[in-house]
Amino acid sequence: MHWLLEPFQYEFVQRAFLAGALAAVTCALIGTWVVIRGLTFMGDALAHGVLPGIAVAFLLGVDVTIGAFVSALVMVVGINAVNRNARLANDTGIGLLFVGMLALGVVLISRTRSFTGDLTSFLFGSVLGARPGDIALQAVAAAVTLVLVVALHRMFLAVSFNADKAAALGLRPRLAHVVMLALVAVAIVASFRTVGTLLVFGLLVAPPATAALVARRVPAMMALACAIGVASVGIGLIVTYHFDTAAGATMAATAVGIFFVVLTVREVVDRLHARQPLPER
Amino acid sequence: MAMAERVRSGAAVVGVGVGLAYGRHPVLADASFAVPAGAVTSLVGPNGAGKSSLLNAMVGLLALRRGELRVLDTDPERARRRVAYVLQAAKVNEQLPLTVREVVTMGRFAERGPFRRLRPADRAAVDDAIERLEIGPLVNRHVDELSGGQRQRVFVAQGLAQQGELLLLDEPVTGLDVVSRHRILEVVATERAAGRTVVMTTHDLSEAADTDHVLLLAGRVVAQGAPAEVLTAEHLGAAYGGRLLRLADGAVLLDDPHHHAPGHDHTVCDDDDEPGHPTG
Repeated sequence: MHWLLEPFQYEFVQRAFLAGALAAVTCALIGTWVVIRGLTFMGDALAHGVLPGIAVAFLLGVDVTIGAFVSALVMVVGINAVNRNARLANDTGIGLLFVGMLALGVVLISRTRSFTGDLTSFLFGSVLGARPGDIALQAVAAAVTLVLVVALHRMFLAVSFNADKAAALGLRPRLAHVVMLALVAVAIVASFRTVGTLLVFGLLVAPPATAALVARRVPAMMALACAIGVASVGIGLIVTYHFDTAAGATMAATAVGIFFVVLTVREVVDRLHARQPLPER
Repeated sequence: MAMAERVRSGAAVVGVGVGLAYGRHPVLADASFAVPAGAVTSLVGPNGAGKSSLLNAMVGLLALRRGELRVLDTDPERARRRVAYVLQAAKVNEQLPLTVREVVTMGRFAERGPFRRLRPADRAAVDDAIERLEIGPLVNRHVDELSGGQRQRVFVAQGLAQQGELLLLDEPVTGLDVVSRHRILEVVATERAAGRTVVMTTHDLSEAADTDHVLLLAGRVVAQGAPAEVLTAEHLGAAYGGRLLRLADGAVLLDDPHHHAPGHDHTVCDDDDEPGHPTG
């Protein structure tokens, strides 16, 4: 027990846990819809598409969070424009935007020599260096996400069921879709300092995907995804403290690891159920 | 017949010179028709004839390229809340973690909107729809755990729960088991008896023959009126072309290579009016 709690006696670990937990909750709430609607590739593209904004903001000496936000908005608009073009499959356009934005980010970053260390922190996060300002921003993002996810539940539910049905019910599927994308952008922008742009995707998708294997209703799936996300952050920090690993990557790997453990258990349970003989009549 | 005259005549839906298209692909041209109020109308026609597109236009999901369409004496978009639209089951996301009761409850969102709480009357409407489709024992099950017929009954219940004046059903009984098919058609009959208007698309001519009014489509309106007047060899030949087989006993079969449903007197075929499949 002491081994588990030992890391949390340090203030920087407590701050890291708080920052990571808020990121996990924000990601789990909107990530649930990302998983339900099969938008994981789009989430991945959005997560990596914030890099050029961060680079430009860094070069101009502006807060990188603002750069990330502008970049995410460009991605949301770009993805929507691509979605409207029926000639291309959605994933083709998203893939091109994804690689294009990532490449642009790296090109911009490669122009500045002093940037390498910062690039690593943007890609993989620096959760152990979380400052009170970062935590406040994440708390706001988590609160905004929670309020919108609750308030727009019917709209999100209907657009996920079928966009035409949502429109027929007067529940504005296009607006719901754009708000969803915007919330994914918010989750990424608010979390990239903690877990990094490469790994935020892990918190966005892995806990909701794990919850989907167990939960039977959307609110239950969200609650479970939040719990799994926060647990991944906690376990990640304990492992990082004792084995001196990269914190953001350990959290993301934990979240994905939990998914595969639950998937395996689920498969075994399902097979055992399938083998049980039918009751005699 | 002029538009004003048709509206006065008690039609639930009236189209004059309606033209529909997906991008550059026209699916329905110059369609003038009337759907009588308080009756069951079937939309019949071959693959890509414009049946589903016309339903989409009736709820304002597909904008008109030409002509005029009045639904319940107003524009399709304004009428939307009073129209219950049951989509083809295949077009619904079944991965959504929703119970049967939650799916049916969605029908009430048309009335309550995104924010207003559900009242006891809303719950009563949901319970009534569940009872009428005989899906009571399934209410806590997941949609992806149900058979195709049970699923379709759930989606029809969702439409019924909306308590609209006009019920639109897109292929409600295609490929269903006998029990589900019977239940859904019985509900349609009850709706008519209660004075509501039902419009359903179908590929099954025997099913169309049991409705009050038939609209035979093939990228245009080939014929409309009572089943006996519309489902004649001449009209069907004009709509289906060479895919029509006449048997010695006078029965008519559709020979459609896309879709052969066993167990039906009349062969049915796929309808797909989506972009990229402009066959009509």
